[in-house]
Amino acid sequence: MQPALHVHNLHKTFRNGHHLKAVDGVSFDVFPGEIFSLLGPNGAGKTTTISMLSALLSPDLPPDGASEITIGGHSLQHEPRSAKALLGVVPQDIALYEDLSARENLIFWGKMYGLRGAALFQRVDEVLELIGLTVRAKERIGKYSGGMKRRVNIGAALLHRPKVIYMDEPTVGIDPQSRRSILDGIIALKQQGMTVLYTTHYMEEAQELSDRMAIMDQGKLIASGTHAELIQLVGQKARLILTVNVPTDRLLPDWQAVPGVFSVVAAGDLLTLLVDDTNRVLPQLFEVAAVHSARITSIDIQEPDLESVFLHLTGRALRDA
Amino acid sequence: MKSLAIACKDLTHSFRSTFAIIFMFGVPLMVTGLFYLMFGSLSVDKSEFNLPPTKVVIVNLDAGDPQAGQLGQILMAALQSEDFASLMEISLAPDSASARRLVDTQQAGVALIIPADFSTAFTDSQSATQLELYSDPTLTIGPGIVRSIINQFTDQFSGIKITVALALQQAETGQIEYAQIETIVADYLVASQTSADPQSLIETVIPTAAPQQNFMLTLIGPIMAGMLVFYAFYTGVNTAMTILKEREEGTLSRLFTTPTSQTEILGGKWMAVGLTVLVQVVTLLLVSRLIFQIDWGHLPVITLVALAIVCSASASGIFLCSWLKNTRQGGIVFGGVLTVTGMVGMMDVFTGNPGDPRFGFWPLITPQGWAARGLLAAMNGGSITQILPYVLGLIAISILFFIIGVLRFQKRFA
Repeated sequence: MQPALHVHNLHKTFRNGHHLKAVDGVSFDVFPGEIFSLLGPNGAGKTTTISMLSALLSPDLPPDGASEITIGGHSLQHEPRSAKALLGVVPQDIALYEDLSARENLIFWGKMYGLRGAALFQRVDEVLELIGLTVRAKERIGKYSGGMKRRVNIGAALLHRPKVIYMDEPTVGIDPQSRRSILDGIIALKQQGMTVLYTTHYMEEAQELSDRMAIMDQGKLIASGTHAELIQLVGQKARLILTVNVPTDRLLPDWQAVPGVFSVVAAGDLLTLLVDDTNRVLPQLFEVAAVHSARITSIDIQEPDLESVFLHLTGRALRDA
Repeated sequence: MKSLAIACKDLTHSFRSTFAIIFMFGVPLMVTGLFYLMFGSLSVDKSEFNLPPTKVVIVNLDAGDPQAGQLGQILMAALQSEDFASLMEISLAPDSASARRLVDTQQAGVALIIPADFSTAFTDSQSATQLELYSDPTLTIGPGIVRSIINQFTDQFSGIKITVALALQQAETGQIEYAQIETIVADYLVASQTSADPQSLIETVIPTAAPQQNFMLTLIGPIMAGMLVFYAFYTGVNTAMTILKEREEGTLSRLFTTPTSQTEILGGKWMAVGLTVLVQVVTLLLVSRLIFQIDWGHLPVITLVALAIVCSASASGIFLCSWLKNTRQGGIVFGGVLTVTGMVGMMDVFTGNPGDPRFGFWPLITPQGWAARGLLAAMNGGSITQILPYVLGLIAISILFFIIGVLRFQKRFA
């Protein structure tokens, strides 16, 4: 099957004062009707990747051959107009005109995607209905809440019924109700056959939405696959999240030496351990703590998830990376 | 079509902003209006100056003289003539006490009391008499005018009396014949009447329309021209800065993700700058014509100059903004570059000496200088040939600035 989005060997280095390799050899395919998530901490290179996939940034010439981006079979480098016509982009920040109404914004963006006349106005009405803002369509965007602006931000990318839509962290900084509404909307888009490339640093969102996902860290794609495939990377390892009544660095070296403990990460008061058998490891952890006159004040045992995968692959916790 | 949609969106943005409206139209008209009120009203008041006629009450006690006749009556009739109707409102009183009372109660401004021996004193060369002028002490101009008029008459009477006395003396000593006395007095009367033409007593000069037009042309017109140029260039920069604003707000990046070429996007932005300045310049020309009656010159000439100003202000905005990294730096352009170049370009206008050759070439080192001089030339009734150097200068500046600005922006967004 031809991928809706084909990405091969993307590189990007920023040279403002110092060399920052933001994206380093990223390749992946997204197939029609699929939701594909790029998961990674802030600064992992997700937005830079999306910028290159949107033609906002040119990829660097890679040292080992050529880079390639195709959307619906059209090369973004060589046929930008055809490729962009199949693409809808929802930027991370609200990119709308605050002094225009929601309806005026949608009409303007519809024109930019080549819609005209009655078809434009009909589609604007449909999108307003879809994002639930028909009643307040004539109000200026500046008067909207953050969640409402996010909905218009998404609506503007749907006007031309794109084959592929990029959503760059569309739920950042909004209330749980609006977040839920947006996630439901994305699932509805998938049901309509749309291909979605979704970036997030919330593993719960990636887990809920994605057919497949890729984990990015420090500009590299470190793993990709379905949720089940990624979990298999950590095997049956569980995560233990502990708090203790002494500084964490006093316990860290001895706990790392306990048989069955694969990694220990300290972040503030929390210690996160990746272990293979909690029943066997926990008593030994208590014994080591007693030797150091320390008390374990709380324990949280978590079954393997994407957080565990990230911890397993990078040695760092996703939330604190 | 997409460029037009971008331009329309930017125009909507500009004209929905209260700040932009005040800046584009309110401030230049308000500043000119202040000058108009300060200087224009004085001029208008002069042309409409009117002194109300002074109320004069006359008491004629003159008993008359067999030789001189009723000189009191003659004086009264003269004062009641049409010639003085605009200066005096005459009424009569039976006696001096009632006349004074009318003045005291401010029902009259002046009371003129003609004594009983007024005519007799005229024929007797040895005797003298006095006209009494009783006036309201709170009035100054009215009584002064009445006194001047009466002095004119009494001088005439005195002159005749002296002429007759002198002629008699000369006849008695044989220098002239008695028969010549009548001719001498007649000649004197003709001469004195000519010099005592009531119209010459007070010369009321009413400024005609011409000086008023001249005032508008020499003061308010250049100020409005200066304001128009000054704020057209501000609008050029302010509108061109929307490209930086859109970049900061992410809408420009979003535009670049749509199937719209960079040329279409930037072309739409430049179109918006030009259209915004065009609307501003045309509106200011028309509104100032209506409010301040400024004559901007022949229509084809002012049209040509206005279009050249629109081009240069727009191109200058694009040029200046192409050097800015962000909108925060816009303050430097607004406060610094535009103010300095505006002041240099229009130093002759703002010092109240438009077109003064002492300022030499300096105003022409800025586009505002070319624009202001072009407008002034049009206002002074210049022909197309006369304003052509300014128009061509502005077009040359526009082309240069536009090319540099567009190349810099295209390089930035490549």
